[in-house]
Amino acid sequence: MRELTYLEAVREAMSQEMRQNEDVFILGEDIGVYGGAFGVTRGMIEEFGPERIRNTPISEAAISGTAVGAALTGMRPILELQFSDFMTIAMDNMVNQAAKIRYMYGGKGKVPMVLRTPAGSGTGAAAQHSQSLEAWMAHVPGLKVVQPSTAYDAKGLLKAAIDEDNPVIFYEHKLCYKTTSDVPEELYSIPLGKADIKREGSDVTIVATAIMVHKALEAAAKLEEQEISVEVIDPRTLVPLDTETIIESVKKTGRLVVVHEAVKRGGFGGEIASTIAESEAFDYLDAPIMRLGGKAVPIPYNPELEKSAIPGVDDIVAAVKETLNRH
Amino acid sequence: MAKEIFMPKLSSTMQVGTLLQWYKNEGDSVDVGEPLFEIMTDKINIEVESYEEGILLKKYFEEDEEVPINHVVGYIGEAGEPVPDAPPGESGGSQKADDISDSRQAQVEDLTEQGISETSAQQETADANGKKLRATPAARRIAREENITLSEVSGSGPNGRIHQADVMSFASTEQPVKATPLAQKVAAAEGVDLQGIKGSGANGKIKRTDVENAIPPDASPATTTAKRVKMEGIRKVVAQRMLQSKTTAPHVTLTTEVDMSQAISLRKQLLEPIEQQTGYRVSYTEIIMKAVAFSLKQHPHINVSLEGNEIVYKDEINLGLAVAVDNGLIVPVIQHVDQKGLSALTADCKRLGIAARDNKVKPQEMSGGTFTVSNLGMYAIDAFTPVINQPESAILGVGRINEKPVGVNGAIELRPMMVLSLSFDHRVIDGAPAAAFLTELKEVLEQPIKLLV
Amino acid sequence: MTQLTNIPAHLKKTDLTHLLKQMWQIRFFEEKVDEFFAKGMIHGTTHLAVGQEASAVGSIAVLQERDKITSTHRGHGHCIAKGAEVNRMMAELFGRTTGYCKGKGGSMHIADVDKGNLGANGIVGGGFAIATGAALTSQMKNEGYVVLCFFGDGASNEGSFHEALNLASIWKLPVVFVCENNQYGMSGPAKEMMNVEDVAKRAAAYGVPGKVVDGNDVFDVMNGVGEAVERARNGEGPSIIEAKTYRWKGHSKSDAKKYRTREEEQEWRAKDPIARLRDALIGEGLLTEESAAEIKAAAKKEIEDSVEFSKASPMPTIEDLMEDIYA
Repeated sequence: MRELTYLEAVREAMSQEMRQNEDVFILGEDIGVYGGAFGVTRGMIEEFGPERIRNTPISEAAISGTAVGAALTGMRPILELQFSDFMTIAMDNMVNQAAKIRYMYGGKGKVPMVLRTPAGSGTGAAAQHSQSLEAWMAHVPGLKVVQPSTAYDAKGLLKAAIDEDNPVIFYEHKLCYKTTSDVPEELYSIPLGKADIKREGSDVTIVATAIMVHKALEAAAKLEEQEISVEVIDPRTLVPLDTETIIESVKKTGRLVVVHEAVKRGGFGGEIASTIAESEAFDYLDAPIMRLGGKAVPIPYNPELEKSAIPGVDDIVAAVKETLNRH
Repeated sequence: MAKEIFMPKLSSTMQVGTLLQWYKNEGDSVDVGEPLFEIMTDKINIEVESYEEGILLKKYFEEDEEVPINHVVGYIGEAGEPVPDAPPGESGGSQKADDISDSRQAQVEDLTEQGISETSAQQETADANGKKLRATPAARRIAREENITLSEVSGSGPNGRIHQADVMSFASTEQPVKATPLAQKVAAAEGVDLQGIKGSGANGKIKRTDVENAIPPDASPATTTAKRVKMEGIRKVVAQRMLQSKTTAPHVTLTTEVDMSQAISLRKQLLEPIEQQTGYRVSYTEIIMKAVAFSLKQHPHINVSLEGNEIVYKDEINLGLAVAVDNGLIVPVIQHVDQKGLSALTADCKRLGIAARDNKVKPQEMSGGTFTVSNLGMYAIDAFTPVINQPESAILGVGRINEKPVGVNGAIELRPMMVLSLSFDHRVIDGAPAAAFLTELKEVLEQPIKLLV
Repeated sequence: MTQLTNIPAHLKKTDLTHLLKQMWQIRFFEEKVDEFFAKGMIHGTTHLAVGQEASAVGSIAVLQERDKITSTHRGHGHCIAKGAEVNRMMAELFGRTTGYCKGKGGSMHIADVDKGNLGANGIVGGGFAIATGAALTSQMKNEGYVVLCFFGDGASNEGSFHEALNLASIWKLPVVFVCENNQYGMSGPAKEMMNVEDVAKRAAAYGVPGKVVDGNDVFDVMNGVGEAVERARNGEGPSIIEAKTYRWKGHSKSDAKKYRTREEEQEWRAKDPIARLRDALIGEGLLTEESAAEIKAAAKKEIEDSVEFSKASPMPTIEDLMEDIYA
């Protein structure tokens, strides 16, 4: 198998799907000859033309609503928002329209659209271009929320998201774009709602999302040297959430550390921790659940400050050891 | 000021509790969380722990006396504190001023209720010094499973938090025998070795009765040869309930004979798949219960109970399963039998059967029954007249399966026959509907394929 | 009373009586709803379009069956004009399972996707981008339909109006934006809330035609919208048609109408769009007094029957709560 970057995997999933499904098209700002803010759609306008790689004005409210309208009438649009921070300007269409139409209309009408958008810090883009706001969307009934961490997952999950008859928010972490993994050439689908055990272990379960999956794996490797066996689970989709895999893992290890880049306060880690506290895994917990998340502060510009605003590998190592009473 | 000890309300139906034994004498010092006395309710026996510390100043009731819920049983306080000579009645009563409005009174009662639930929740949550005990859920689970008193385990975690590993290492070292102070005294007086006595109290704690039962016959001081055992615990409850049922409900018992050929072959086919799924072997009891639930659904007039002047048609089918235990009979209830498949039913029946024999059935697992099945098929019993388990209105007695010659299409064949005996309360159920129900049940068992319809 | 514009020559007698009947249906539907709200038999809130019947009926009269509409919170009239069954509409307001949304949408979310009504909308300005997206589907799939987007004077101050107008104009999408200017956005008089007299003038900013019509003159509405629909169908892009009209009732059921005068209301009542159409048809000899009375009576009976239908319809059960939600 060949290796692809995460960015190439996203592009490949879209291109392959567009070759076989005329209803799929992309709209977004600067996605044409420019190739998108992060270059994800680079080269696509040459293959598919400006009709299907639709460069839009800077109008997040209009393009998100247009995607909803097109989806409602038979297309399968992929909307690219340049930064997930701009969700605020597309929020009404996602939350009040896309998420609710099927239910509000008594089951008629469907909105098969994917909103793809890069999230996360680490690029020095500071407060308005570095956030991780996935918990907002996960809170709204009617939106599916996907957060792939690897190239392999990105391709398979994007295919599943495009095939989904309901709106999907697809978060791509900017620092994941350059990561590589083995990616099959053919198009394949990874079901939404199936977590992936990225590393098996027996002492502590870490549930991590997006870039934190990579940091958790790094931490797990360090901890192995100290004879601590860590299981790393990537939920891959927040909605639907594969609670079963997480519960089974915690029943096995008795310890849970949840890590995400998003601000800890009100973050999705609280949902995972509560799920465990309410589940049958509770009786197997042998230490308090630990949550690691971003500090409650806008992401700063200075690179050292930026790094310290979110969990790092050492923080994860320390948290795992704390749950084990090892210092 | 001296603190009241009162009879806790442990279930929604509990009105009085019977004091089974005191663990403390007047003048003894008591710690928070220490067992004070044992009571019996209409459902369970339970140790009541203190949530005050001090000296036990007064006991108003002796063993075997019945005390209404919320009534003061005694006082704890400092030595020499004055307490009333006679039982003051309901808890909080002496503090009630005449001008307290009804709503205030209700608040007081509410608070008392909270106090009670905290008391029961305090089991295993306080250490020997009465401090909140810190233990992880996993440690608590293991302690529960292994009958270990957490307060005796020392924790290795922060602030003394007990972890799973602490409980496990505690379990692997031998522990001293646990016995109530009274049991220890009796054992010392009678020269009985506490080692080797199986305790019937909470966490296997040895109680006075356990010691008395263990006294060898020749050591008994009794002068007559007849053994006399005091009615208490479950025995006493069974006695009361049987008398109540037989004296209030006019019992009629119908019997019918069932050809079990097809039920037997059904069970054979189900044995392996159910065992693979649940680890348990399906027995005739479960097949009969399934058929009973099916037939009750068709005959809602049987699934009733009499409440005051009203016949209540139950919308759930929850079947009691009579289980013989050492000193009596208890009836755990399997919920929603009509909605369960045979493997779920098998798992439930076996689990509750085992729990019943181990005296571990929870009160909520013994309530809500709408009909009971009593199976004596393991003995050489054909038919019997079971006593209705009130407030239910009917009970099914199941006899053994026995090969008998029966006429089949003009020829005599040997068939596995079983007698079903249905006792019902004639106040609320008439003969014809009862007969129709029993007939349906017979037909379902003879052609169990009907269960699929 | 002001005379109506000349009757469009291509209209047959049956078309004309149909227009009158639909306007009566709307009038009676709204009056009935008002009555039941007053009696407390319908709950929630509702926005009535009494007095605005001509703009709904006239706009939709020029559409083909395949054409689509997006509607507003004041949408019962659009819905009836687009051919919805009044039984199912009334049942929706009664919260019954036979309603268009199975009792889950209520007054503000009635949709009839099969008949091309993409839905009323509880968000002011929520329909602009959805209509634009539906028009994009028509263009991309060559489906030939036109989308009619109803909106009010108040919604034209929403950002989504401007974003969607810009997007639809640069892509020359087959969408017609029909402003029903009923003079007030809730309590806000249009003349105080914008610095132009006509919403139609805003069309100039997007290089599209903008035209004002008499919203209480069904034929004037038909002529104006008809021309814009024709243009859209020919691939010449969007237009704005502004129908000046007036809502007789308050904004919603809790409106004391303190912001306007009795005199003003009487002035507009004198321009009753239904009476004007009726008189014109009788004046032209196309209708007798008797047949006009029959049409009115038939419309009234249909609405009364719809109430009976609704009362006899089942309420949803608690089990229905989680139906049609997928995430």
